[in-house]
Amino acid sequence: MAVVTLENICKSYVAGEERAVDDVSLTIQDGEFMVLLGPSGCGKSTTLRMIAGLESITSGTLSIDDEPMNAVPAKNRDIAMVFQSYALYPHMTVRDNLGFGLKRRKIPKAEVAKRVEAVAQSIGLSDYLERKPHALSGGQRQRVALGRAIVRDPKVFLFDEPLSNLDAALRVSTRAELVRLHRELSATMIYVTHDQVEAMTMGDRVCIMSKGEVAQVGTPMDVYLNPASTFVASFLGNPPMNLLPCVADETGVNVAGRHWTGNTNNSSPGTDLVFGIRPEDLVHLESEDGANISGEILSVEPLGAETLIYVQTQADDQPLIVREGRATTAKLGQTIHLACKPGMVRLFDAQTGLALTPPTGETP
Amino acid sequence: MRTTGLATPADQHRVSSRLRNLALIIGLALYTMYAAGPFAWVALMSLRTTTEIAADPYALPWPMHWDKFLSAWVDSNYDVYFLNSVTIVLSAVAILTVVGGMAAHCFARYTFRFKGLLYFLIFSTIIFPPQVTVIGLFQILVEYGLFNNRLGLVLVYVSIQMPITIYILEAFFARIPNDLFDAARMDGYSEWEIFWKISFPVALPAISTTIILNTILLWNEFLYAVVLISDDDKRTLPLGVLRFMGDQLEDVGMLATGLMIAIVPVVLIYIFFSERLIQGMTAGAVK
Repeated sequence: MAVVTLENICKSYVAGEERAVDDVSLTIQDGEFMVLLGPSGCGKSTTLRMIAGLESITSGTLSIDDEPMNAVPAKNRDIAMVFQSYALYPHMTVRDNLGFGLKRRKIPKAEVAKRVEAVAQSIGLSDYLERKPHALSGGQRQRVALGRAIVRDPKVFLFDEPLSNLDAALRVSTRAELVRLHRELSATMIYVTHDQVEAMTMGDRVCIMSKGEVAQVGTPMDVYLNPASTFVASFLGNPPMNLLPCVADETGVNVAGRHWTGNTNNSSPGTDLVFGIRPEDLVHLESEDGANISGEILSVEPLGAETLIYVQTQADDQPLIVREGRATTAKLGQTIHLACKPGMVRLFDAQTGLALTPPTGETP
Repeated sequence: MRTTGLATPADQHRVSSRLRNLALIIGLALYTMYAAGPFAWVALMSLRTTTEIAADPYALPWPMHWDKFLSAWVDSNYDVYFLNSVTIVLSAVAILTVVGGMAAHCFARYTFRFKGLLYFLIFSTIIFPPQVTVIGLFQILVEYGLFNNRLGLVLVYVSIQMPITIYILEAFFARIPNDLFDAARMDGYSEWEIFWKISFPVALPAISTTIILNTILLWNEFLYAVVLISDDDKRTLPLGVLRFMGDQLEDVGMLATGLMIAIVPVVLIYIFFSERLIQGMTAGAVK
């Protein structure tokens, strides 16, 4: 049982200089799989290391189960961490690596041996217990690192980009294994990654960070469908959400020389807004009738399962991206007419980049 | 079709690589003779008497005078010198390894006030030749009652070898990834335990290097020993050799015997640690 609470957590390495982590408040529920997602340098790893106790907290309160942890050293927090580099002790066998943390806790030798064997069994490394890390493959090392965390049966698991050193195939299978592990242990897990696929597939909730601040917290689908800002909209999704400058009028917005009718959350006519639409929410129309956006096709990328169409609009230098099925009629140089799927348009304030709340919906 | 000569390019290649190997082996053999020649000569002389050597310096030792080793050991006080050398060098190397290791760990791992200055102070001592510092050291040791004292010599040895020890170990410790220490912290270990359970064993190749280096240098050390020790029963082996060097006459035969007694432990230590020494020197070169 462990609820991790961060209240107004800040971190600055040099007093008075820019904060690496700025006023982060977040509650991770018991048994929850929380993913901290963001580009490199956004402060997600620093946040994780502060939870671990490897980094001091400049201001704010960190508590686990309502107990303040700011002054508690890492070794007394009952937290296990899996590092990106695995950080296996090179001079110890797999058995000693797994048992190292238990030995320190004065657990009887027989008990240590029993738990090490059990964990080795569950991660499929029973036959490798006497090997040293340099004699293991990357995937096996990763599993030892995982086993070293599991064997301690900690309150909270922390993961710092644990899959980034694995090759693509192994990454997919390990991802599934981690999800299974979370289900089995039903432990509180905090997972740092810059890979949005990991975040979308593994997290119960995702916390997206930018420049040391929390940009948005929510379930993966929620943050994908209702991004709180243009940053989240353009960070999540591959390709990301299309963002076009637009101007509000009485009934909707003028975008790319055409009109889209919908709720602008009472923006006064003439206000600059940003028009957001996911590539898969644009419908390719046969004729101009009912089109919200039109433009010239710059390139067509058939990816097998789907086709990406790059469209030059009047609105922006940045091409608009449309995701279509395999059987598309789009041809290079053609003019394409596009309609937005109902309910899928998101509008953002052009100045602050924040979404107009409540999530914008079309007028019937 | 030609029947003579080298049939295929592969054959030609094999022959040329054999020739190259042969040249290399000859070269190495010549160098080994050049480098090991004096050593072998002293080894041969150690089994001959001075009279025999005077008659024919390069003759083979026949008959072999093994009794010379016994007489050096028993009659010429070599048992005492040997014991002194072992105690002094072992103590100095032990202190150097532990204290130097800890200092290197701190320099490599932590940031603290005056770190740069401290590092500079330690290393600036390297630039003074021993002839400069020995007079000052003599004064200090006399002042503290450590002149003509084995403990005094141990302390001097520790201080002269400390900078290079820290230098070698610091470079190695700095290469150990930080995550390893963080992992040990998460596993519940204190900084002190981390040094002994992680830093020290992981850096064993580098530590072996410093052990060999310090042992060999201090085992053969002469200048400080001759200045700072005056009693015969506190002398180390390099001073023992002096016994056979008179003003007028040198007992070359016994000198060679004494040298052999002094060399054997160094050779043994080298053989024991050399595998690790090579690891230490090449560590990090290949990943």
